[in-house]
Amino acid sequence: MGKMKDDVVLQVDDLSIVYHTIRGDVKATNNVSFELRKGEAMALIGESGSGKTTISLSLIRKLPKNAEVTQGQVLYQRENGEVQDILQLSNRQLREFRWQDCAMVFQGAQNAFNPVLKVSKQFEDTARAHGWSDKKAVRQRSLELLKLVRLDPERVYDAYPHELSGGMKQRTLLALSVLLSPQIVILDEPTTALDILTQRAIIDVLNDMQEKLNFSIIFISHDLSLAAEMADVVATVYAGEIIEIGPVNDMFYESLHPYTFGLLAAVPKLDHEQDVLTSIKGTPPNLINPPSGCKFHPRCRFVLDRCNVDVPALTEDLGSHLAACWNKEAVVEARKEQV
Amino acid sequence: MVSQTSPMLEDAKPESATERIIERAMKIYQNYILRVLLQAVLTVWAVTSFTFILIRLMPGNPIDVLVEQILVQEGISYEEAYARVASSFQFDPDASTLDQYLDWLGDLIRFDLGESITSPGTKVIDEIARFLPWTVFAVGAGLLISFILGIVLGMAMAYYRNSPLDHLLSLFASFITGIPNYIWGLLIVIILGIQFGLFNVGQLRGTYASDVEIGFNYPFISSALAHAALPIITYVISTLGGWMLNMKSSTMSVLNEDYVNVAEARGLRDSRIISAYVGRNAMLPLFTQLTISIGFVLGSGVVIEEIFVYWGLGHYLFASITTRDYTSMQGVFLILTMTVVMANVLADLGYGLLDPRVRVSGEK
Repeated sequence: MGKMKDDVVLQVDDLSIVYHTIRGDVKATNNVSFELRKGEAMALIGESGSGKTTISLSLIRKLPKNAEVTQGQVLYQRENGEVQDILQLSNRQLREFRWQDCAMVFQGAQNAFNPVLKVSKQFEDTARAHGWSDKKAVRQRSLELLKLVRLDPERVYDAYPHELSGGMKQRTLLALSVLLSPQIVILDEPTTALDILTQRAIIDVLNDMQEKLNFSIIFISHDLSLAAEMADVVATVYAGEIIEIGPVNDMFYESLHPYTFGLLAAVPKLDHEQDVLTSIKGTPPNLINPPSGCKFHPRCRFVLDRCNVDVPALTEDLGSHLAACWNKEAVVEARKEQV
Repeated sequence: MVSQTSPMLEDAKPESATERIIERAMKIYQNYILRVLLQAVLTVWAVTSFTFILIRLMPGNPIDVLVEQILVQEGISYEEAYARVASSFQFDPDASTLDQYLDWLGDLIRFDLGESITSPGTKVIDEIARFLPWTVFAVGAGLLISFILGIVLGMAMAYYRNSPLDHLLSLFASFITGIPNYIWGLLIVIILGIQFGLFNVGQLRGTYASDVEIGFNYPFISSALAHAALPIITYVISTLGGWMLNMKSSTMSVLNEDYVNVAEARGLRDSRIISAYVGRNAMLPLFTQLTISIGFVLGSGVVIEEIFVYWGLGHYLFASITTRDYTSMQGVFLILTMTVVMANVLADLGYGLLDPRVRVSGEK
């Protein structure tokens, strides 16, 4: 278990997860592997139901009860170099790991705070659960963090959650997420359900925080502009698989997978008029009985004969940029025509 | 600009003294606590006036009831019996209901509940003071035990939902709720007391054994507990199921809340999540129901206390009804109404302490 690179904080190897349902087993995550480097921001993008959230929940073992990890490991490297498989942690170790090493900001922060407890109480609860019971020190640290997320620290700290607006709650939750200086912060749709100006403020705050506190981020979004702005690395998730992963610029300007290419084409362009929005035809596949071969082949414009037989692997093409496709050349050609 | 707005300002200004008084009154009315108290007083007045009329609509009056009794027992003539009863009672059956009402209301304003009709010289307020504490004790203990037990069991059902434990407890809760409390009372007396002889029914009459001294000593307290045990058990059994089922559904909806999920992700200890995050929020709707049920249980206490011959307010009320002792009945109904209304006022005011979201009108 000691074979982790020094600068990697999280390494997911060949992770597969199924949900047991009445209608059958939903293969929500299949053979997912990736590495998260220290201080790096990674975006998971993809349609709803593609398995982004399942992947992120498995990192703190917060999957629903009917989920089962069928294979793989999630290796976490502490600052002192010690490596642990999160999937093997005892309940007590897991409780300590959560938030102290890896915090998760869930989708919809509107209800993330207990309505009957003051914000201060909830910060103190979090600190005390991890053996930090000096209220004064917690207060001081919390006020600093609230200031960092550009809130009026004293007012927010002594407020009840219902006295805060949606954007304020989101920022308070961000401040809470780094209270224990975790190495990793997972953000699930950090800007959904917020108005456009608040979204902007949250992005600025996040960039600011990451610069000052230097944690790694995994964030889930279907907002590609957010990914472009925040991420160092982008991974496209389709039908429970990472089908393309690479540095943000490569992904946006030289995408190799037809699905990523399609997603990007679907984004409305600001610089020229468009009468009809482009979309990827078809619907996401049924994950109980997924298509054979490449799971994207029924919707793919560049489909080849072999696509419904052979499963393409995530192979290395241009350094760190990987894509699982048999017909990358066609995507490259298509982009040339487009420009 | 000034000339344009000034006529409107003048309109808004109170011109006469009466208008100023009305405005002042409106301001006072807007004070939350005062408004709640005023509503409480009005409610008590309305309910007691209503019962005043209702109890006079019952067939017979205190004199008739006693006359009939004497006729049967002593075999004297009706006129003789009537004269005897009427001379000993300070009650005029021919006075109009309105006159009686105004008399009663006049006394009530001076906090005077009057004397019992059937036992002249006994003040109603003294009788209530004698019986009320026992009812408060039995009902209070019963409700408290069933509330706490219901919350714990309800939360357990929600945490282990769809397990055999949940199914068993759900069945149990529906079963005990489905049987009315007076049936439970009778079942306890007949089956446990008489059939199985687990306790001596006769010895449990009253509120404590006659040979103990009232005070803070062991014989008195244990005797009081023994006498109250059966009514308390009945109250617990008849209300427990409701708490369990309500707490279960309330807990289940809270368990789906984001903040519980986030609390788990924050690595909080389970004990902290169960108490402060799940329990406290799940209890909020039950707290309102608790105050409603106080009135309900007090009312049903009449029958329960009669079944166990427990000398509380219900027992006193029952005796008063049998003899058509109007003043005593009025006194008891007044106290019952006040208890229920006060419980609601306290719940209104106290709810803010539990849920900060409703703590608005006072502060801002």
